[in-house]
Amino acid sequence: MEEKIYWSSIDLFPLETEEHNRIFPFYENLRQGRFTTTKCKGCGAQPWPPRVVCPECMSDNLEWVDLPTTGILDTFTVEEIGVPMGFETPLIHGLVKIKDGLTLFSRITDAKPDGLREGMKVKLKVIPIDRNRVIYAFTPEK
Amino acid sequence: MRRVAVIAGGMCKWGVRKASLRDMIAEAGKECFDDCAGLTPKDVDGLLFSSAFAEKNQFQTHGAPLAAELLGIKPTNLIGKVELLCGSGTAAIHLAYTHIACGCSDVVMVIGADKLYLPDKRETYWNIQAACDRDFDCIHGLGVPPPLFAMIAKKHMKQYGTTEEQMAMVAVKSHRNASKNKFAHLQNIVTMDEVMQSKRIVPPLKLYDCCPVTDGAAAVVLACEERAKEFYKNPVYILGIGQASTHKNSANMPSFTTWEHIKIAVPKAYERAGVKPEDIDVAEVHDCFTISEIIEYEDLGFCEKGEGGKFIERGLADFGGKVVVNPSGGLLSCGHPFGAQGERQAGELFYQLRGDAVNQVEGAKIALQHTMSGFCSDSSITIYGRES
Repeated sequence: MEEKIYWSSIDLFPLETEEHNRIFPFYENLRQGRFTTTKCKGCGAQPWPPRVVCPECMSDNLEWVDLPTTGILDTFTVEEIGVPMGFETPLIHGLVKIKDGLTLFSRITDAKPDGLREGMKVKLKVIPIDRNRVIYAFTPEK
Repeated sequence: MRRVAVIAGGMCKWGVRKASLRDMIAEAGKECFDDCAGLTPKDVDGLLFSSAFAEKNQFQTHGAPLAAELLGIKPTNLIGKVELLCGSGTAAIHLAYTHIACGCSDVVMVIGADKLYLPDKRETYWNIQAACDRDFDCIHGLGVPPPLFAMIAKKHMKQYGTTEEQMAMVAVKSHRNASKNKFAHLQNIVTMDEVMQSKRIVPPLKLYDCCPVTDGAAAVVLACEERAKEFYKNPVYILGIGQASTHKNSANMPSFTTWEHIKIAVPKAYERAGVKPEDIDVAEVHDCFTISEIIEYEDLGFCEKGEGGKFIERGLADFGGKVVVNPSGGLLSCGHPFGAQGERQAGELFYQLRGDAVNQVEGAKIALQHTMSGFCSDSSITIYGRES
C-alpha cells in the first residue's frame, strides 16, 4: 500500500520517524515505555530535550540514556477555556519533577482535578497519535 | 556610536478589527507619519517589520517589503523582518537603534502587526501552539500561555504571600488607564469585585488577570541625532538597551518566580543609560498577566524581591507613587497583537517624554520599556530619556 503523504505544517505533532528526524530513537524508546535523552560521551552532559549535538562541548558523539519514568507532581493547573482542538476540557497541565535538576511541563491525563495534589507521584503515559507516532504525558500512579 | 532618537509613534485602533493585516499596517503607518509634522516616507531609509503570526495566520512571509510598499517607503539602507514572539517589536527597535547608531542608516521605521481574529477563533489557538517548544512542550496542548502563568502565580503566592486581590489591583489600574486611551482594546473600567468575580480561566487566573487576544499594528520611527533635530529641538533619545534569553524548553527555565532574563538584561540597560531604577519616571512593562507585572516590579528593581504585591497595594506603581507603570493600560487593556507590542509601548513612552500622552506623567524625563516572550524565555529592555 502506498504511504499517505499528509501536510505536516498544519500538524501539531513532529515527524518522528528515521526518515524525517535524527532523534527518532527517542520515539522508538517511548513506544516501548522508555523515557530517554542523549548523553554526551565526551563531556558527560545530559541535556533535555535530546540532541544531535552536545550544547556544552559541541561533540556529536552522543548515546541514549534512560530517564526515570516516574516523578513528583510539583504543581498543576487546569485550563477550562481556550483549549486547543483535539484536547479534552478541562486540560490539566503539570510540572513533573522526574529527578533533581529536571522538571518537565506535561499534560496530566486520566485524572480529575479534584483527585490531584502537589507532591503526589505520577508516571509516564505513552499516547498513540496515529499509526506511526506516539507522544508522552504523565498520569497519577495508582 | 551616534545618538538615536524616537521621532514618531502611532498605532491603529486595537481590538477585534474588521480589517486585514495589511489594512492595519497602513493605518498604523499613517498615524505614525501624522504624528511628526514634516516627516514623509521619503525621509525613511530603512524599515524593520515585526510580526509573530503573519506566516501562520495570513499565510504571508516576507512581510517587510509589503509594509514598505503599503507606506510608500523605498528602503535604501535597511529592510528585514524580526520575530521574537511577543518581544518582536522591541527586538526590532533594538536592531534599528544599533543600525542607526553605527551609521548604516539614518531614519528607520519599525512597524509591527498581528491579526489574531480569524473567522474560526480556534485557528489562532491552534497556531499559537507553534510558540513554545513545538516538539516537546506544545504537544501537551500548551497553546495560549495562561497555564504557565497560572503556575507562576501559584508559586509566587506560595513563596512570597502575594494575593489574588493584589493581582486584581493591577487589572483595576490598567483598565482605569485604558479607559481614556481610544486606541486600547478594552476601555471598560472595572472594580475589584468585578475582577475577583470574573470568569475562571486557569485558576488562580481569572478573566481580568489575562490580556485579551487582539488585532493590531503599531509603528515608531527612529532617527540619528542630526535628522531628529530637524524635527525636534529637544529629541527623545534611546539611552540604553538590554536583552537576555535563558531558555526555550520549559525544563530549562531557571526559576518561575525570579525572571533571570530580566536580572541579566536590566542592569545592562541601566548601566548603558547611566540611570538607576529609582530614576525611572514611567514604565511600560509586559503585563501579559497581572502576576507578570508584579514580578516585573521586583526584577526590574522598582522594589525588593517578593514585595511586588505590596508595591501595587501601596499605590507605588500608580500616579503619585514611585514609578507610573503602564499608563497606557498595558497589555491587559490595550491588548496583545504579539508582533506589534514593542512599537506600541515605545510610542506611549515617546509621548510621555514628549509631554503629550493621554495619561501624562507630569515632568517625565526617563522611561523604561520591558517586553517578554514565550515560555517566559527572554526580555528586551529599552530606556528612553529627554534632556531638560
